Amino acid sequence: MQLFKTPHLQFLKYKYIALAATAVIIVAGVLNVTAFKGLKLGVDFGEGTLLRIMTRASSNEGDIRSLLQTVGLGKSVVQKTGDTGREFQIRAVEAVNTKATEQDQLEAHEKLADKIIQALRGDDGTAERARGLVDLNAVDERTLTGLLEGAFPGSGPDAALKILSYRNQTGIITGYQDISGIGLKPEVQTFLKDKTYLGKLTVMSRETVGPQVGADLRRKAVQATIWSLIGMLVYIALRFRFEYGVAAVFTLFQDVLITMTVYSFTNREINLPIIAGVLTIVGFSINDTIVIFDRVRENQKLMRGKPLEEVMNASLNQCLSRTIITSGTVFLTVAALFFFGGEVINDFAFLMLVGTIEGVYSTIYLSCPVVLFWQKWFKPAAARRR
Amino acid sequence: MKKNLQWKVILVLAVVAGALFLAYPFNDAKIKRGLDLKGGIHLVLQVITDDSINIETDQEIARLEELLKKNTITFQKVTKEGLGRIAVQGVLADEEGKTRDMLEEYARDWDFGFSGDRANLTLKPLVAQFLRDQSVSQARETIDNRINTFGVAEPLIQRQGSDKIVVELPGVDDPERVKELIKVTAVLEWKLVKAGPAPDEATLLQATNGQVPDDAEVLKGDPKRGQSGFYLVDKVATVTGKDLRTIRQTTDEWSNPAVTFTLNPDGGARFEQVTGANIGKQIAIILDKRIQSAPVVEDRILRTQGGVIRGRFTPQEAEDLVVVLKAGALPAGIRYLEERTIGPALGADSIRQGLAAGLVAIAAVMIFMIVFYKLSGINAVVALLLNVLILFGALAYFKAALTLPGIAGIILAIGMAVDANVLIFERIKEEAALGKGVMSSITQGFSRAFTAIFDSNLTTIISAIFLFQFGTGPIRGYAVTLTISLVANLFTAVFVSHLLFDLTVRKTAKVLSI
Repeated sequence: MQLFKTPHLQFLKYKYIALAATAVIIVAGVLNVTAFKGLKLGVDFGEGTLLRIMTRASSNEGDIRSLLQTVGLGKSVVQKTGDTGREFQIRAVEAVNTKATEQDQLEAHEKLADKIIQALRGDDGTAERARGLVDLNAVDERTLTGLLEGAFPGSGPDAALKILSYRNQTGIITGYQDISGIGLKPEVQTFLKDKTYLGKLTVMSRETVGPQVGADLRRKAVQATIWSLIGMLVYIALRFRFEYGVAAVFTLFQDVLITMTVYSFTNREINLPIIAGVLTIVGFSINDTIVIFDRVRENQKLMRGKPLEEVMNASLNQCLSRTIITSGTVFLTVAALFFFGGEVINDFAFLMLVGTIEGVYSTIYLSCPVVLFWQKWFKPAAARRR
Repeated sequence: MKKNLQWKVILVLAVVAGALFLAYPFNDAKIKRGLDLKGGIHLVLQVITDDSINIETDQEIARLEELLKKNTITFQKVTKEGLGRIAVQGVLADEEGKTRDMLEEYARDWDFGFSGDRANLTLKPLVAQFLRDQSVSQARETIDNRINTFGVAEPLIQRQGSDKIVVELPGVDDPERVKELIKVTAVLEWKLVKAGPAPDEATLLQATNGQVPDDAEVLKGDPKRGQSGFYLVDKVATVTGKDLRTIRQTTDEWSNPAVTFTLNPDGGARFEQVTGANIGKQIAIILDKRIQSAPVVEDRILRTQGGVIRGRFTPQEAEDLVVVLKAGALPAGIRYLEERTIGPALGADSIRQGLAAGLVAIAAVMIFMIVFYKLSGINAVVALLLNVLILFGALAYFKAALTLPGIAGIILAIGMAVDANVLIFERIKEEAALGKGVMSSITQGFSRAFTAIFDSNLTTIISAIFLFQFGTGPIRGYAVTLTISLVANLFTAVFVSHLLFDLTVRKTAKVLSI
C-alpha cells in the first residue's frame, strides 16, 4: 500500500511564519507560567497531600466539598475519578507555616490528611467501634486474620485472604451481599455481620512529600533532564555536525516548553510520571529529528551543489510518508491510553497526545530552520559552497 | 538453507528461549511490580545524626568527671557547651600540665585548648563524621531487623545520601502501625520511683521544695498506656533493654495482652538486688522517656525469674513492643521526609486499566502494520513481539520493577520499534520504485535505513543512561525499560526482521508483498 507518491511540498518556504508562531507560543507559555496561572506542582515536588478515596454510596464533588467546608478545608481540590462515581481525589491546600521545620510541615500535611478523612467519615462507625466492631473496609490483613482465626481455628487466613482480595479488586465492600459469592462459609458470613461493620469510605492512597525531599526531587529531575540533553547534543554533534546538535537541543527545549504550556492551561498537576511523559515526548521528537537529519546527510552527497534549503525540503518530502505513518501509529497508541488507561495514566496520555503532534511540527519548523540560519550566520562561505 | 542463515536462526531461537526461560510464566515472582502498581508503603526518613554526637558528648562528660577525680585534678564542673563541645571549668593553673597530659592520653577523639581556667574540648571532625555515618548505618540495620521481625515480604531498606534511609514495603496495608514501629527509639529502662504520680510538676516537687534532686529526673506517663501523671524517678536505670535475654508476648492473669521478659545474669543480679532492697516501692518501666507502668515491688524478684510488662496494651501494641525490643534500639532519632501509601486496590486498578490500554494499543498497531504493509507487516509484528519478550526477560533477569513511568518507557520503545520498521519498509519501497529487483531492494532498504535507526536509538539510549544516572525512582524506572527495549530494538527491528525477509522471500520473486 502506498500512502502517496513522493510529494514536492515547499515546507521551508514558511519558515519565518513558523518561527514567528513558535515564538508567540513560547512567549505566551512563559508569561502564563510566570505571570498568570503558573505550573501547578504536584505532591511529588513537596506541595502538600494527595488523597484518593472511594465511598460506599455514590457521591459527588459538591457533597464532599461541603463536608470539608465544615472543618474549614473548603478550598481543597476535589476531583471525581474513574467511572464508578464513587472515587475521588482530594488535594489538600492549606497554607502551612513556611517557618516551621521540615518535620513539622510534613506532620502538618499528614494531620491535614487525617483531618480530611475524619471530616469525610463524620460520626460514621463511632457507635460500632464503641461496641468493639472493626471496620471491614479498613481492617488490615493481620488483624482480620487474627479475628477470623480466633473464631474459626484453621480457616482464618484463607477467609481473610478471600475477603481482602475481593476488597482489593473492587476498592470497597458496599454491602455484605457483595461477599456472599466469594466462597465464604455461611457461619463466617454471619460472624462478620456480627463482629464487623462496613465503613463509608476507604482510603485508596495517601501521599505526602516534605519540602526538603520535594526540592530534592525537583532538583534531580531538572539535573537529569539537562544532562541527558547534553548527552544528546554531544552525540549528534559528533555524528552529524555541531549545528545539528544545537538545532536538536533547541527543538527539544521548544518541545518541553510548548507541551508544558498546553499542560498548564489545562490545570493539571506536574508529578514525577509527568516528567517521564515529557521525556518520552523529547524521545520521539529527537527520533524524528534524527531521521530527517540522516536523510539530509545522505542527500547532501546525492545532491551536490544544491543549496541546503533545497536538500532539506527534498528530505522532508521523502520522509513525509514515514513521518505520517509513524506519528499516526504513536498517536493511535497514546489515544488508546488516553481513553482506556485509567485515571493515573490519563494526565500522562494527555501530555503525549499534545507532544506527538508538536514533535513532528518542531522537527520541520524548528530543527531544520535552526541549521539553516546557523550556516547562514556563522559559515556564509560553507553555506554557499553547499 | 544457506550456512550463514543457519547460525542467525539459531541465534534468534536461543534469544527467544533465553527470554522465555527468564520471564515465563510472567507472574509476580518473575516480573516485579513497583509500588505504584502493586500497592505498599514508600517512606523516606532522615536520621537525626546530631543525636549520636550528643550521646557521645554526654558520655564523654561522665567519663571526664571520673577521670579527673581519679587523677585527683581539682575542677569546678564539666559542662556541655554545645554539639560536640565540652568545657572543664575551674582548673587550677598549676594543674594545667597534668590536665593536658590526661586529655592527651585519654581523650584522643577530642581537640582541646585552654583559656584561663577552662579547658575547651571539641570533637574531632573526622570522629564526628564517623559517628554520624555509623548512626545512619546502625539505624538502617535496626530498621531492617524490626521490619524482618515484623514480617514483610521483600522489603527494601536502603541508605540514600548522607543521612537518609528509604524504606519500601510492598503489600503492607497498615501504614500507621509500620510508621510507629520504625520510629520508636525503643530505649527501655527500669527506674525506681522517688515520688508520684502527681497531676503536675509543681505538686510532684513539693516535697523537694520545687527542686529536682541531682540524682533524679521528672518523667511523664504515657497517655497511650493510661498513665497521665508526672513521676520523679532515679536518673540511673536499674536495668535497661540491653539487659534483656528473652522477650515474649503473653497475656496476664486477667488475660490482657502483656509482655514477659527474662534478664541476662548481670542484669538479673542487679534487678534481684534492687527489688529486694525496695519492697513496697514503685519501679517505673520507661519506654523512650515515657512511663508505661509503675508497679509496686511486692517481693524480691529472683535473677532467673524475669517479669511482666503491663500497661493496657492492645494485642497489636504488645506484639509491636516485642518486635522493637528484639530488634534493638535506634542509635538516633528519625524523622519522616516523605510518606506514600498506595492501597492495593489502586495498584490493581492501574495495572488492569494500564494493561487493557496497552493491549488495545499494541493490537491496533499490529493490525495497522499488517493492513498497511501486508505480508511484510507480519515481519514487523513478529519483531515487535520479540522485542516485548526480550524486555520482560531482561526485567526478570535484572530484577527491575515495572512501574507506571516504566510503562511510558515501553510505549516510547514500541513507537521507535514501529518507526524502525516503517523506515525500512518505506526505504524498500523507494528502492523498488527506482526499478531495483526484490532482493536488492530489501538489502538496500535495510542498509540505507540502518544509519537513521542506529543514530536515533543510540541518541535515546544515551539520554536514558544519563536519566538513570541522575534521576530518582520513577525516572529511573522509565530509563530502565527504555534502554532495554531500545537495545532489543536494534536486534529485532534490524537483524530479526531482515532474517525473516531472507527466510521467506524467494530469490526469484518478482514482487514483494509490502
